[in-house]
Amino acid sequence: MITLQHWLVLSGMVFTLGLCGVMMRRNVILVMMSIEIMLNAANLAVVAFNKHMVPGPGGVVPPDGQVLVFFTIAVAAAEVAVALVIAMLLFRRLDTVNVDDVANLRW
Amino acid sequence: MDAVFFYAFAAAMVLTTLLTISARNPVYSAIFMVLSFASTAALFVLLNAYLIAVIEVLVYAGAIMVLFLFVIMLINLRAEEQEGLRLNPLMILAAGTFLVLLTRAVRDLGPAVQPTPNALEGSPGVLADTLFTRYVVPFEVVSILLLAATIGTVVLARRREGEA
Repeated sequence: MITLQHWLVLSGMVFTLGLCGVMMRRNVILVMMSIEIMLNAANLAVVAFNKHMVPGPGGVVPPDGQVLVFFTIAVAAAEVAVALVIAMLLFRRLDTVNVDDVANLRW
Repeated sequence: MDAVFFYAFAAAMVLTTLLTISARNPVYSAIFMVLSFASTAALFVLLNAYLIAVIEVLVYAGAIMVLFLFVIMLINLRAEEQEGLRLNPLMILAAGTFLVLLTRAVRDLGPAVQPTPNALEGSPGVLADTLFTRYVVPFEVVSILLLAATIGTVVLARRREGEA
């Protein structure tokens, strides 16, 4: 039987992998991919919680968790579009996407 | 039966995520990321979140994946920039501590929590009923956010006069 704990451990493992990606990769695009992976792991946990929610009045479980994930995906899409353009501008100006080379706030 | 699918897709998700963060070529990373998101979509189906599973494939495996691949190809990394991983014992320690703490928190949740009997089916109708009644204001705010992101992206990416 798959319980809530199974889902949360899976979500935690994937989130930790994303965390490792953010810390270990130097390429800014890979760092962004790792952030997406962490968002995705959090989404999985939220949907799992929704399935294990105590039913409201009438014995119905409201789909609030799934609605929240819907919003998260929309915001993630907006975020990744802007972030990728910033990465492209970075490459145009500095000719690099290595995060170690971009230590200044202005140039 | 559920358990078989859970373990199969969970293993696929962890494995493809591991390959995403460790692949040397960013294009391989993008491909593995799509596989990871496809496994997540399958897991969403196991959680009865059918609409979310479809959106996951459409938005992540479709739109975001294309964005990543486009930028990877525009940037066109040369060989010397495809370096390996930066490894630091402190990072392993941080990630390990995080995972241990998280697992302990999950264990302290108490006895195994079973799914709610006759839990909701995340069909488009059920979701739309909630989305367009209780959450209609956040929905509109998100649409404005997406418009702002679109305009911001276009303005940022435009080459100004006199710029190479």
